[in-house]
Amino acid sequence: MSLPKPVMRGLLAKRLRFHLPIAFTLSLIVAAAFKFTVTEPRKQAYADFYKQYDAMKEFNAMREAGIFESVRPSGE
Amino acid sequence: MFSAAVRISAAGIRTAVRSRPCFTAPLAVRCYSHAKPETDEEFDARWVTYFSKPDIDAWELRKGMNTLIGYDLVPEPKILDSALRACRRLNDLASAIRILEAVRDKSGPHKDIYPYVIQELQPTLRELGISTPEELGLDKL
Repeated sequence: MSLPKPVMRGLLAKRLRFHLPIAFTLSLIVAAAFKFTVTEPRKQAYADFYKQYDAMKEFNAMREAGIFESVRPSGE
Repeated sequence: MFSAAVRISAAGIRTAVRSRPCFTAPLAVRCYSHAKPETDEEFDARWVTYFSKPDIDAWELRKGMNTLIGYDLVPEPKILDSALRACRRLNDLASAIRILEAVRDKSGPHKDIYPYVIQELQPTLRELGISTPEELGLDKL
């Protein structure tokens, strides 16, 4: 019934040796996944929007809508 | 915690170059020192001696226990025996029982350590008349 002597030293070290590489790897994977599923599509969406963006056309549309104070719509 | 991480990264980088004791020592051994790393037996003996001081005072007992609990190890039964006898000399039953609770806490998820330590300490506990937290119902919330 006498219990054998268990390992009593270095228990935290053993745990860290196992879990730290996993933690770092998983963090890197999550960061990479976020980059490629969120930030890159978002950047691409902005790039696509501005590739065919006509600033003067948009300005004139806003001007006709009468939202500016510095320029009146072309009719007035 | 940091010392354990330093030790692992140090060991990982330097195992090919440095000696084995650097990898297994419980304390934050700096791998670039030329001092011989302390063996487990020397460590245990040092702590048994610390608690065996005949005129140890209460502060030294508390300081010793707190330092010992900070290490990445569960103290050996012989160190705990020396600490319990120091508690006896100081008439401090509360600290004696607290030491046993600390051993249980230090074991963490490894549930086989505490029963083993209690088994090894039974003669001392009986001799000094120390009850375990379980006997006093202090292990229940």
